[in-house]
Amino acid sequence: MGFYLRMRRAMVALSTLSALVVAWFVLTTVTGLISSGRFPDPFATWAAMRQLVSPGYAGSTLVVHVVHSLTLVLGGFMLASTLGVSLGLLMGWSRKAEAFINPIFLLLRPIPPLAWIPLAILWLGLGDAAKIMVIVIAAFVPNVINTSTGVRTIEKTVFEASQMLGTPRWRFVGEVLIPASLPAIFTGLRLSLQAAWTTLVAAELVGALAGIGLVLNVAQQDIYPAMILSAMFVVGVLGWLMTLLLGFVERRALAWRTA
Amino acid sequence: MGSISFDNVGKVFGAGAGALVALEGITLTVADKEFVAIVGPSGCGKTTCLRMVAGFERPSSGNISVDGKLIVAPGPDRAVVFQQFALFPWKTVRGNIEMGLRNKNMSLAQRMPLVDAALKLMNLESHANAFPHQLSGGMQQRVAIARAYVLDPAVLLMDEPFGALDAQTRVVMQEELVRLARLNPRTVLFITHSVEEAVYLADRVAIMGRRHGRIKAIVDIKSVRLAEQWDQLERIEDVMEQESFVHLRSSIWKSLREEK
Repeated sequence: MGFYLRMRRAMVALSTLSALVVAWFVLTTVTGLISSGRFPDPFATWAAMRQLVSPGYAGSTLVVHVVHSLTLVLGGFMLASTLGVSLGLLMGWSRKAEAFINPIFLLLRPIPPLAWIPLAILWLGLGDAAKIMVIVIAAFVPNVINTSTGVRTIEKTVFEASQMLGTPRWRFVGEVLIPASLPAIFTGLRLSLQAAWTTLVAAELVGALAGIGLVLNVAQQDIYPAMILSAMFVVGVLGWLMTLLLGFVERRALAWRTA
Repeated sequence: MGSISFDNVGKVFGAGAGALVALEGITLTVADKEFVAIVGPSGCGKTTCLRMVAGFERPSSGNISVDGKLIVAPGPDRAVVFQQFALFPWKTVRGNIEMGLRNKNMSLAQRMPLVDAALKLMNLESHANAFPHQLSGGMQQRVAIARAYVLDPAVLLMDEPFGALDAQTRVVMQEELVRLARLNPRTVLFITHSVEEAVYLADRVAIMGRRHGRIKAIVDIKSVRLAEQWDQLERIEDVMEQESFVHLRSSIWKSLREEK
């Protein structure tokens, strides 16, 4: 995409968002069509945000909450991706492995990740370990599905060329199987990151010592809508930033497709 | 060294009532440094012949051997050039050509001169660091040919290598292949459905029929080429205008037509 086209898109995005803020302002502060008891106005939300940043809310400042949440998400996401991509490669490559593992997978897949929370808390308590477990379960599935599909759709001649060149097994995995599946692997990673983030916030709602989900939970108990809105805004921005970062990594890793 | 021998080879796909006889009683020998083309209509089994030499398929009956050794698996002694190039799109041109040599555990110092020579041979020097998708089809097939040549294989297996190229590029590549064969003679098994291409390139042409996948006839081209001095002519169209060429082409064509 050219520079000007990118600038134009950014301008359009900016004006849409500004219009939204103006409409919000008009509906709440100016006309009072929506009462501030139900939905906070922009100023109240801004004040709550400042309070969250410093002195803090729900026991910690924003930075502490965010670092806590991001650590769990990234830890869980990386663990889930390592396991999920490996299993996906195995299932895509070996019909036998697929035949053995797929039935278990089909049984467990319809269970929403959040339904694992009670079991995770029973096993691992209210701490971080339980949350990581739930994140891993949620983030693992899209990796397995997309990676195994990616492997299965590799053209047969790519395998044949690799065999013809006498490629040893380990090099085949690292230099043929994984790069050939990489576009599909990244699709899985993107979905997986999304799943990890939404699951974390939900898991923190159930019980946590710090984290952005805790802020939401405490603000609900305090009947503090402006704080709820601020926390939701933080959740949205962080999710967007993580997706942006992954997109950047993806473009670098798949440069051979477009370079 | 490199000679290929098909000894009464048969191939059946599937089993029971749905079984399909693809090849039957194929006996053919390709001598060391000989260029043999197999022509035939689609579905006659010519590609299956090549795939069995490559080791991608096993014969259902009979034997295929290269230099007297039975084929058990694919390997770099039998380099394949595929119709759809089958390059690794995530590797550069150099990375693609180098792969087979790295698999032979050659050091960088050992393989550098070989890769450079292969790049030069196929006029790819200025594209060494390009990715395949940045190249035209003809260029990609040059990379695939370089990747095969650099292995120094006993035999070169080419499966309709120019079938996916446009007519102009195809002609350039055919001339290129003739130049290569003179510079660096190899044992080649070449699959094509183009009679012209077969007559222009090959020392001998094996004609396959559609029914039962048999070889109908083997036509000697080399003696005519030498007698008529085709090698003195630079351009493919000059060769194709020769009376001897026209005669060979039409007799092979008629033999194929009788099938239908």
